[in-house]
Amino acid sequence: MTNSILPALIFIIGGFMIPFFRGRAKSIYMMLIPVVGFINLINIPMGNHYLMGFSDFKLVLLHIDRLSLLFGYIYHIIAFITVIYILNFKNDVEYVSGFFYAGAALGAVFAGDLFSFFIFWEMLTIGSVMLIWARKTKSAQAAGLRYLLVHAFGGLVLLAGIVLNFTETGSLEMLKLTLSGPGSYLIFLGIGINCAWPVLHPWLTDAYPEATIGGTVFLSAFTTKTAVYALARLFPGTEALIWIGVAMAAFPIFYAVIENDLRRVLAYSLINQVGFMVVGIGIGTELAINGACAHAFNDILFKGLLFMSMGAVMYRTGKINATDLGGLYKSMPWTALFCCVGAASISAFPLFSGFVSKSMVMEAAASGSHLVGQKSYVIVWLVLLFASAGVFHHAGIKIPFFAFFGHDAGHRVKEAPLNMLIAMGIAAVLCVFIGTFPKPLYNLLPFAVDYHPYTISHVLSQTELLFFSALAFTLLLLSGIYPAEMRALNVDADWIYRKSGKALYQIFDTVLNPLNAWCERLVRGAATGTADFFKDAGAKISIFVAVNIWLLAGYRDKHLEIKKQKLYNDILQGTLPAGIGAAVTITFILLVYVFI
Amino acid sequence: MKTGKDKSELMELKHDAVPGYRGIFSVVFTLSLLYMAFILFQPCF
Repeated sequence: MTNSILPALIFIIGGFMIPFFRGRAKSIYMMLIPVVGFINLINIPMGNHYLMGFSDFKLVLLHIDRLSLLFGYIYHIIAFITVIYILNFKNDVEYVSGFFYAGAALGAVFAGDLFSFFIFWEMLTIGSVMLIWARKTKSAQAAGLRYLLVHAFGGLVLLAGIVLNFTETGSLEMLKLTLSGPGSYLIFLGIGINCAWPVLHPWLTDAYPEATIGGTVFLSAFTTKTAVYALARLFPGTEALIWIGVAMAAFPIFYAVIENDLRRVLAYSLINQVGFMVVGIGIGTELAINGACAHAFNDILFKGLLFMSMGAVMYRTGKINATDLGGLYKSMPWTALFCCVGAASISAFPLFSGFVSKSMVMEAAASGSHLVGQKSYVIVWLVLLFASAGVFHHAGIKIPFFAFFGHDAGHRVKEAPLNMLIAMGIAAVLCVFIGTFPKPLYNLLPFAVDYHPYTISHVLSQTELLFFSALAFTLLLLSGIYPAEMRALNVDADWIYRKSGKALYQIFDTVLNPLNAWCERLVRGAATGTADFFKDAGAKISIFVAVNIWLLAGYRDKHLEIKKQKLYNDILQGTLPAGIGAAVTITFILLVYVFI
Repeated sequence: MKTGKDKSELMELKHDAVPGYRGIFSVVFTLSLLYMAFILFQPCF
């Protein structure tokens, strides 16, 4: 047991206290939350803490090992940077949602059992949706709703998987799972939705560009990386992940090239980078897992930096489409510089952070054959190489080029506010520091690292790749082959709900609505008929019995009709003599008893 | 000086060809293909 506080609680409770502060005190308080959280975290010893009994289950709210610590550290760092970045927005909804979201992510990575993990996983959804809705535009509301639906479905799939897995194994522990039963498959799929696997990914490219400026920076850090953590914890070495990761690394490149919204370009780029991590987890060797975790750590920093730079551009110009931007390096030189650092880092330039982590995954894919019992993934390596060139093109060149250089859109604006520059500056310094001195990062990785990124062959081959990619971009642009950026919505897998969803609606409207109306008529008709019958059922049965008696008594024709009509009226009007009424009732009961 | 507000927003950011570069692209692209083919089929020789 530890005397430290649950890391998630510091953020969640701390976040809810923000609206009670004003002015400078609020800014200082907000910056203190991640600092206090970090000091708290480094004082927690390894192992399980905060053990709780819930019904018959033993829950572990705080599980500290090297894997969870790595993610815990970077979550605190990016929370601190993002808080500085959003200080000037004065939006309590954004502040509280951001801290709630970060706290939920910390809760998920430190959860020691699947049930606690699920609870924090769902809290992630709530926090992220609030960050999207905090922008308060119509498109943000719609995107937030779509995001909520997808993630609520993903959460249900995960919960179903956890329950099934518990019934199969009797365990809720966050231990390695193999894809064997329906429970494990559902957990795998539930995590995959948050990881933005191909076809399951449109929520990301749909919603992230719609969030607030600071919200997108928060979003880029937590949801997908928590899913990467969960895969590294639960499914390391699962071969299916290699091919899923390869697809993730490759397909977004094509969409990123034609995309006009630069924050959406970065959203595609996010999927591309997570693809590298998923491949590493799928390969499952110590080098590959280390590479995946190191790349997650770095990606949070450089992707956050790129989103921050685009956010600053959006804040100053009100524009984010490539068609509306260009030439901003004159007005926003520091933002341009920081953006270039982020671009160099994501492109894995030597001396920048991506270089020391992405190459670990690629090395693991390429050198698997040298290890006894390991497969070689040459095709995987080739696709990752293509993806590396692609990411340099769309995130390394396209983002800075179309925002800050390229055609001059004529914006003459102020440089980004000081707090934004400081936040971007911290992220940029960390990107360069980790890229130049990777040892401190390597010391934090889950397994001991025996990897040296700065070999002559690696530096040369990577530089060669980058320069040839730059040459390709230049020639494509100058020869007019490079596709034009257009003010249009590029539909990829969201075609399923954007196009076919509408078609399905039409089909259901045409087929099911008439069927529904027919059923309604049938039920209503049956109910009305039954009600009509029982309205004078007593009278009809009485007449049926009485008619036979009257026939025996000699009543015929007109007299019989008069007697029938009188009896009918007497029963309906309730003026029947008590004796006859009793006799009819007894007869009715007898008939019911005999025939039913 | 024109500001962003004065300028009408572009609906399409086209990248018009600079004369002469289409040919250069074709030459470089062909050479790249030959180079890649050489690398891929090198083990066959």
